[in-house]
Amino acid sequence: MSLLAQGALLAADNTVPTGEAVTFWILAPIALGGAIGMVLARNAVHSALLLVCTMLSLGVFYVLQAGPFIGMVQIIVYTGAIMMLFLFVIMLVGRHTRDSLIEVLRGQRLAAVILGVGFAMLLGTGLARGVGSVTAKGLDEANANGNVEGIAKLLFTKYIFAFEVTSALLITAAIGAMLLAHIEKKPGEKLDQKVLSRNRFTKGNYPGPKSGPGVFATSDSVATPAILPDGTFTERSVSKVVPARELTLTEARPKATNGNKQDGEIR
Amino acid sequence: MDGYLGSYATLGVLLVVAGAFFVVAYTANRVLRTNAPSAAKSTSYECGLDPAEGSDWAQAQIRYYVYAFLYALFAVESVFLFPWAVVFDGLGMVSVAEMGVFVAVLALGLLYAWRKGVLTWT
Amino acid sequence: MNDIQLPAIDYAALLPMLIVFGAACVGILVEAFAPRGWRFVIQVSLTIGGLVAGLVAIIVNRDLEITTIGGAVTVDGPGLFLQGAIIILGIVSLGLIAERRLERGGPFVAEAAHAANSDGDKRQEREPGATEVFPLTLFAIAGMMLFCVSGDLLTMFVALEVFSLPLYLLCGLARRRRLISQEAALKYFLLGAFASAFFLYGVALLYGYAGTVSLTGIREGVLQSEQSGILLAAGLALLAIGLLFKAAAVPFHVWTPDVYQGAPTPVTALMAACTKAAAFGGLLRVFNVAFETTAWDWQPVLATVAILTMVVGSILAVAQTDIKRLLAYSSVANAGYLLVGVVSLNGAVGSSLFYLIAYGFSVLGAFAMVTLVRDSEGEATHLSRWAGLGKGSPLFSALFTFLMLGFAGIPLTSGFTSKFALFSSAWDSDQSVLVIVGVLSSVVLAFPYLKVVVLLWLNPPGEETPTVSVPSMLTRAVIFAGVAVTFVLGVAPSFLLDIVADAGPFLAK
Repeated sequence: MSLLAQGALLAADNTVPTGEAVTFWILAPIALGGAIGMVLARNAVHSALLLVCTMLSLGVFYVLQAGPFIGMVQIIVYTGAIMMLFLFVIMLVGRHTRDSLIEVLRGQRLAAVILGVGFAMLLGTGLARGVGSVTAKGLDEANANGNVEGIAKLLFTKYIFAFEVTSALLITAAIGAMLLAHIEKKPGEKLDQKVLSRNRFTKGNYPGPKSGPGVFATSDSVATPAILPDGTFTERSVSKVVPARELTLTEARPKATNGNKQDGEIR
Repeated sequence: MDGYLGSYATLGVLLVVAGAFFVVAYTANRVLRTNAPSAAKSTSYECGLDPAEGSDWAQAQIRYYVYAFLYALFAVESVFLFPWAVVFDGLGMVSVAEMGVFVAVLALGLLYAWRKGVLTWT
Repeated sequence: MNDIQLPAIDYAALLPMLIVFGAACVGILVEAFAPRGWRFVIQVSLTIGGLVAGLVAIIVNRDLEITTIGGAVTVDGPGLFLQGAIIILGIVSLGLIAERRLERGGPFVAEAAHAANSDGDKRQEREPGATEVFPLTLFAIAGMMLFCVSGDLLTMFVALEVFSLPLYLLCGLARRRRLISQEAALKYFLLGAFASAFFLYGVALLYGYAGTVSLTGIREGVLQSEQSGILLAAGLALLAIGLLFKAAAVPFHVWTPDVYQGAPTPVTALMAACTKAAAFGGLLRVFNVAFETTAWDWQPVLATVAILTMVVGSILAVAQTDIKRLLAYSSVANAGYLLVGVVSLNGAVGSSLFYLIAYGFSVLGAFAMVTLVRDSEGEATHLSRWAGLGKGSPLFSALFTFLMLGFAGIPLTSGFTSKFALFSSAWDSDQSVLVIVGVLSSVVLAFPYLKVVVLLWLNPPGEETPTVSVPSMLTRAVIFAGVAVTFVLGVAPSFLLDIVADAGPFLAK
């Protein structure tokens, strides 16, 4: 706790400690590059990972500015939980899904870039002028008993109503997610074991387990059908998504995995 | 190595050392090993089988998303529980009531999920 | 360490909000435990009961003027009036949300998780709609109520999110034309999240300027702060963007037509009436309490936004061919008139409140009537389909004509009295330019309304004119309320004008 107070005092005189400056100048380009890369990356997974970079850097910035609690929250909740949600969405829609590059409104992208850069510059220069020479104050009082307690004191006294109302926000989000993503089984729609097995063994279904691919086969490829004891091939052993095939002689040859290049030009 | 940032400097040094260890180990590996690439070596390894053709993507069940969302919900709740644990002896029963209401409302979400059958897989 | 004190909490002042929040939570319990067949009845009675109880609590509180929880909530005359207005408009729009005769199963989809036009979606076509919409509506209304009485920007932000999130969801739950409904929800959500980010950035900058997020603290900070004025200007600008987005002011209005068109019509009605009231409640409070003393700096900018909103809204309304889009652009133009009230500061608070009530009821009535015109595909909203409806359905057309005339501001309707009250108080506050632009733009805005009237009565019917369905008592009550209030406030507005005059200014201490 006393460390925090000292840190607050450090920040109170107007010079930025060297460690803080060094860390900032290392991480700031990473954060900014990550953010820009996230927007520009064509692959959704790359976007997500670049966003993680930005969020981690921001977490470190919070810690640097004597807000360790919010820094840890940033890392645990955002880079942990929220990013996981992003990844589930990517797994849902597929990483090959890409934005349509056709512009519906002509020149919209150019206008958006120009306006965006202009807005960023306006805000950046304004803030540089506005807070460039400001002396931080009140930090030592706020963190007097430690950062977490400082937050707790405000959260559970003055902002208690906002805190309680946040629960309404979270539950709305939960109900919304279930409403949009969950199909409720109606009574009678849920099949029990008896019905399920009856459906499975109705006439015409082959009740036994399927023979595995490659069983008694000439190759151990998943695409090679198994040979039944009577010597015929069974297509059932091959997954429906894989077209069954016979291996050619070249394919059946031993593969060059010993670094011998002449044999390695098979595939 | 003292002061507020000093305590994090240790962490920073540890991170740098870890990174350096990783880089040195892999560089040494690359320098010392024999290097004979072949096409067969760079195919994906699937337990000795030929790699299956086709797309490498299978659509994930949206149910995973709902679970992940419920997890995120309670992660946010735990974020509020930390500072609460720090002050709760100062405020006493009042703070128990405060957090009780918050957790109870969130528990409604879990109750709803349970009754709607979100928590059972089949 | 143990010096933490809970600030005094006046539970009476919070009671209306607590009742509505509580009813919403009970609604979720009902969803979880009540048998499927009973849910609809229980939810409707619970929702109406909760809202009426909240309204009673507000009426009991009517003379309350108090700042509670250490300044987080400020209950004062205008705040209570806005809360009451939101609850009343919410009860009325509930009539549309609960309507189940116009369409089998109601206007909402049964299982939103079925992909649109999939087999599952076709199977559920005739199933009763999701009853989760009722707790969601309650959460939205409770959030709006808190938004109007927030004493600091942090509470205001949480309230903004609490009322926005259910609305994003509700927009995507239409039974018919589900893809366009989901598109509307997504657009509203993305742009709304973007606007929330602006709001939050503004709050951060204002905190940097004044050292506090409380509205009265910022008001005092303006006089004392040693910080650069750039922080104040930038913070105010970003905060205003967040608020003006919800109010649908130009140039932050682009979501309005798409979302109004795509959302289920009952939700559109809720947004047009209640969200408008909440957004302007927030705008009025922020500008009257926190920034009144810096009015010279922001008034010209906000006046420009108001002029743009009035002009763009009314001109684009002329070009619309869809009745829901037409009403959306008309709501943009009306946001412009209300902004005139915001720019005029304290002088026009009362008439702005009056305008919100008058416009809210008219727009609820209009959207209620839009839900009636149907063919086999659901609502027929394209204007060409409305041609000649007057021949077959004279009563419907007469009532709709009356509402259109009300929007156009013809005397004997609330549209006239509310515009008159607003513009005259703005004139008294020396906003003559705004008043002139406002009057001119309302003349332009009269064209699309009159075009609809001409279409109804004078044009020959098309080959397949949709029918005007017979609704249940609920929608009838909404239409009756909309038309009756539009008429009563047009003929005898004095009682409501007295109430808004009694509401007095915002509490700024």
